[in-house]
Amino acid sequence: MATYKEKVGTAVVNFAGNYPGAVEGELWYDSTNKDFKYQFISPIGAWATGGNLNTGREKGASGGVSNSSALFAGGSPAPSGQTESYNGTSWTEVNDLNSDRDDLTGNGTQTSALIYGGGSTGKTELWNGTNWTEKNDLNTARNQMGGAGVDNTSALAFGGTPAAANTESWNGTNWTEVNDLNTGRNRVGGTGIITSALCVGGAPSPAYTESWNGTNWTEVGDLNSGRNAMGAAGVSNTAVLVFGGSGTSALTELWNGSSWTEVADLSQARDAGGSNGTTTSALFSGGNTSPTAATEEWSGTSTVTKVLTD
Amino acid sequence: MTKTYQYCVAENWGKGFIDHGESSKITFVGLPGNVWQVPAHNKNGNLWIAKVAGIVKTKDEAQAIVDTEVQAAQAAWDALPDAQKAPAIENITRPTDITLEE
Repeated sequence: MATYKEKVGTAVVNFAGNYPGAVEGELWYDSTNKDFKYQFISPIGAWATGGNLNTGREKGASGGVSNSSALFAGGSPAPSGQTESYNGTSWTEVNDLNSDRDDLTGNGTQTSALIYGGGSTGKTELWNGTNWTEKNDLNTARNQMGGAGVDNTSALAFGGTPAAANTESWNGTNWTEVNDLNTGRNRVGGTGIITSALCVGGAPSPAYTESWNGTNWTEVGDLNSGRNAMGAAGVSNTAVLVFGGSGTSALTELWNGSSWTEVADLSQARDAGGSNGTTTSALFSGGNTSPTAATEEWSGTSTVTKVLTD
Repeated sequence: MTKTYQYCVAENWGKGFIDHGESSKITFVGLPGNVWQVPAHNKNGNLWIAKVAGIVKTKDEAQAIVDTEVQAAQAAWDALPDAQKAPAIENITRPTDITLEE
């Protein structure tokens, strides 16, 4: 019978613990635990704990392209302007918003972000990587909106309290009213870009999903579990991840453009956290209850170490 | 009765407390009071509790910790002005009791 080395081209490595040099499928012997092990990439997404915020908050807003790069601003218990930046390991305090508030909405990146609404205002602030600068207000002041956009030059704001069907479009300078949601609601999950966005759940229609094509909203498939104040991640209306939500939910659902599928739950159920990223790399930061400083990182794939006898 | 879950108390220190590999293998449920529920009679659950230096609790002990936290949250809710409790404003409700499973 051929030996392992003859078949695979390498001998079985003897290593104390998990072998960091292992390639996918390679077998090694863990001399500490006396197990034969191998690693593989699981296509099933999973949540892991991320670095804790310096200050636990709920009802804040966040932006960022992945689970290792984010900006989190505002929130409560007391309306705050505090802003923190995440590098994939830890959060660093940066310059505050000009106006303290909660229930605000935002999008963008660590170097180009936009915050709008919140509290009882329509205030808009632009982040250039260092400072927040006040810009032109929303036409209709409101809070608890959904938002979409990848930087501070374009954004879509929809729903909220009051004026829960309103949609406004940001061109880098001004907000313009565009076509309303079919069903007005607040505390929605929102994500996407100015030409391709999704509005998910919210009150009082917690399972509704509407898709934005750049001009109009169209009702599409409902969530499996209706809720509001959930997190949302995605850069189009065809690939979106939503997580958590009212009723201290830990549920996570994945949208493929036509239907929702339940995937792995958060480890800590909560709502009203900041959310950003994509369906393959997302971040949920802070939120209720307490409010918490905990964050969770979603990875659409994960490296799993298996013991042969598992 | 055979236990389905085991409980421990461990403070979430952030990055690395639960990693993606661990989360792929077992289901973690974080509860008030730093109580964590993981599968009983499970090697991966046992390894994780050891990694985070979790203090193992019986279901009844864990329930008491959770109850204390929930009751404090309920008392805080009850103390809020009525205007802040109005669902139409915040769409949030009084924290509900949590019953742990064996």
